[in-house]
Amino acid sequence: MEKLAQIINKIRANKGNAEPVALTPQTRLREDLAFDSFDLAELTVHVEDAFGKDIFEDGVVDTIADVCKRLGI
Amino acid sequence: MNILLTGASRGVGLVICKTLLEQGHAVYAVSRTHSDEIAALQKQYPEKLFFKSADLGDPAAAKAAIFAEDFVSNKIALDAFVNNAAQAYDDIVTNLNLEPLRAMYEVNVFAPMLLTKYAIRNMLLHGKSGGIVHISSISAHTGYKGLAMYASSKGAIEAFSKNTAREWGGRGVRSNVVVPGFMETAMSATLSQEQKDRIYKRTSLKKATDISSVAETVAFLVSDRAASITGQAIHVDNGTI
Ligand SMILES: NC(=O)c1ccc[n+]([C@@H]2O[C@H](COP(=O)([O-])OP(=O)(O)OC[C@H]3O[C@@H](n4cnc5c(N)ncnc54)[C@H](OP(=O)(O)O)[C@@H]3O)[C@@H](O)[C@H]2O)c1
Repeated sequence: MEKLAQIINKIRANKGNAEPVALTPQTRLREDLAFDSFDLAELTVHVEDAFGKDIFEDGVVDTIADVCKRLGI
Repeated sequence: MNILLTGASRGVGLVICKTLLEQGHAVYAVSRTHSDEIAALQKQYPEKLFFKSADLGDPAAAKAAIFAEDFVSNKIALDAFVNNAAQAYDDIVTNLNLEPLRAMYEVNVFAPMLLTKYAIRNMLLHGKSGGIVHISSISAHTGYKGLAMYASSKGAIEAFSKNTAREWGGRGVRSNVVVPGFMETAMSATLSQEQKDRIYKRTSLKKATDISSVAETVAFLVSDRAASITGQAIHVDNGTI
């Protein structure tokens, strides 16, 4: 979870959102974090590098809880 | 730069491979055959040329072999992908047969699209800009008897390149196409001298396209010298007009 938060905050920082966010299982990637499809692609590659799993391979992922479920964390 | 290149064993790919090595780049070369020429280049550039045998006729298996720990792993930051490997299915349209058509599309269209996906993902992971170059063919722009199926696969890849350029430009990824005219390689070896002469007559320079001119154009397009060029199809075809 900590690693995931690091990845997400880094992507936000690259977009100019310096303030790190606290993630909850309910946090929605698109609505709450304002991730567009390019940010989600970046998230996918960093998560895959860190956890060895492509989170978007089988269908839509909406919340942090969905991501954790896919990763088994 | 680290460059992934398909179809390196012979023909145009081999010349592109040599040209990129001469310019100091590291080349991750792919084809089914580990040719003598590639083996000789590996002796000459042991630290710069890496080879993997893969059959692009099975895109998923080829992707798994290429983006693997022992080849283009996540530790390697790719700067460019050159899609050169291709096969030709030549026949007149009324003889069209689905099986060879599908087999050609696996190699010429589906495999390069899948490899583009993972090349861009590698560039994203490393936060780097990068270049993609697809080798098309003049047959996609000027019709020739017997080349409708082959040319259609090149038309598909040209449209894919233009849209990739538009989609990923914001992240610094450039995508271009080199459009060669007819060259003297294994692919065109079945043509008779008469057929070749007819093709050359349609060019301004009245001869076969120089392979090294194609290779130099590829090397230019992947380099920073082409930093503002994307979404283009550059014709290297002796002026086929
Ligand atoms: N020759 C021409 O007149 C001409 C004109 C316009 C455009 N082009 C384009 O130029 C590019 C190079 O063609 P070329 O003339 O150099 O042809 P070539 O001499 O037949 O070489 C084709 C290359 O692609 C590789 N390849 C073919 N099928 C493959 C597969 N299933 N899996 C992996 N690698 C495969 C071959 O390696 P292996 O056999 O070892 O796998 C070889 O290295 C192609 O995109 C072609 O469409 C050629």
